[in-house]
Amino acid sequence: MSALAVTEADVLARLAGVRDPELGMSIVDLGLVYDVRVEAGRVAVTMTLTAPGCPLHDVMTEWVRAAVAAMPGVARCDVTLTFDPPWSPDRIRT
Amino acid sequence: MTGMRAARPSVTLPLAYLASATLAFVLAAVATPWLAPELAGHYYHPRVLALTHSITLGWITLTIMGASFQLIPIVLARPLWSERLAWWQLGLMIVGVVGMIGHFFIGAWSGLVWAAALVALAVGAHLVNVALTVRGLQRWTFTARMVTMALAGLGLTTVVGFVLGLDKIFRFLPGALFANLHAHVHLALLGWVLPMMIGVAARVYPMFLLAPEPAGWPGRVQLWGVGLGAPAVALGLCGVPGLLVAGTVSVAAAVTGHLAWILTMVRSRKRPALDTGLRLVLTGALALSLAAVLGVALAFDLVAGPRVALAYATLALGGWVSLTIAGMLLKIVPFLVWYRAYAPWAGRAPVPALAELSCARGERLASRLLSAGIVALAVALWIGDPAWIRVAGSVVAAGALALAATLARVLTHLRRRAPRAADALAVRTA
Repeated sequence: MSALAVTEADVLARLAGVRDPELGMSIVDLGLVYDVRVEAGRVAVTMTLTAPGCPLHDVMTEWVRAAVAAMPGVARCDVTLTFDPPWSPDRIRT
Repeated sequence: MTGMRAARPSVTLPLAYLASATLAFVLAAVATPWLAPELAGHYYHPRVLALTHSITLGWITLTIMGASFQLIPIVLARPLWSERLAWWQLGLMIVGVVGMIGHFFIGAWSGLVWAAALVALAVGAHLVNVALTVRGLQRWTFTARMVTMALAGLGLTTVVGFVLGLDKIFRFLPGALFANLHAHVHLALLGWVLPMMIGVAARVYPMFLLAPEPAGWPGRVQLWGVGLGAPAVALGLCGVPGLLVAGTVSVAAAVTGHLAWILTMVRSRKRPALDTGLRLVLTGALALSLAAVLGVALAFDLVAGPRVALAYATLALGGWVSLTIAGMLLKIVPFLVWYRAYAPWAGRAPVPALAELSCARGERLASRLLSAGIVALAVALWIGDPAWIRVAGSVVAAGALALAATLARVLTHLRRRAPRAADALAVRTA
């Protein structure tokens, strides 16, 4: 598989397997993933958490980074945490 | 990895507070059936006072302090000012509370004052630590205002309690003994516990329920209702009847606003199913509505006497506060343990979900025994029959033991050095 074969949709599918440990829901279904960009095997994920100051911030970003970095064709994954706009329950996919 | 771990907030500090508090709850619950004859009499009895303070200081205040060290950094997005001071505070609280309960039990007032001084020092340390943590806060939210109000209430309650202790030796306070005592109790309940609980609820319940943050008129009613009502009730109980009525109406309005917010959050939640912890929290809210009705009836002299007062205190401290705290512990303790035991493995190994750390059957057993036992205890205390108090107290004790056993099982995960492959995956590599 070449690096170019990885798409935003592939990354989102992978991230759908990362679950919030308390809620047991996928971070994609929770609406925590704001943006995914793929360029020449380098993936940039912009995500949020349900609350600023959440102690899970390092855990969640590490999970996301590790999950994406393990995908074939991914050379590097950078995860950016943002609270702008802040997360709200309206972002949950039901 | 080392740098990442150093940046994490302490887990052992809040856990030490919560474990100490749970132990106090178990001891108090186990003592309840044993103290049935005293509880069937007047509440102004040294052993009943010992039991009350093991609940209010040992269980409720220690839990709130410990949970504050976990929740304030999350709720206000600021790190704790001094963890070392918080450890000193815990030591002072444990020695002070044990000393107070022991001296209440044997009716030794000079020893009680020394122990109360240690508790006052611990409270002072807490106020300094939290004040320096929130200094320079840019946005004074509903929760920040309520927490500040609660801390002022804690300081006032401690001062009044300490002065009441001194008065047992030097007899210098004006006014009737029971008027001052009732003012102290209501400063604690309405000035310390109520604003803390409704302030934290406004921020934490939406996170757990996946509901929009509450807003609108109930917030203003709660702020003004507690801010004006709690001191008015305390002053009213000291001998200004008009203030008692006005304060009671204000606090009742605040409680109504709080319950309206909870109802709104539950209705608009996106969390598919409520776990045992959240159900306990909602049962606590139901008990609050009962306690509020009884409190209003007492204030308006529709009911009177020590039996009703004990039932009211049981519904408030046991039903509302204790069930809410028990529910929150079932959420907070697994999180803290998971964070300590499994977070370092994030992304590198399969780790269990939070729910898998606890025992669902144990949670349900604790919830049912505590809920039924506390309501039965309130009824038994109202009736004043020692036999029924003993039976209901035994159910509460069984519930407290089930809660402690469930939490202890969660703590066993701290001994694990690495996630087991058999554990369910929180990270699923699709």
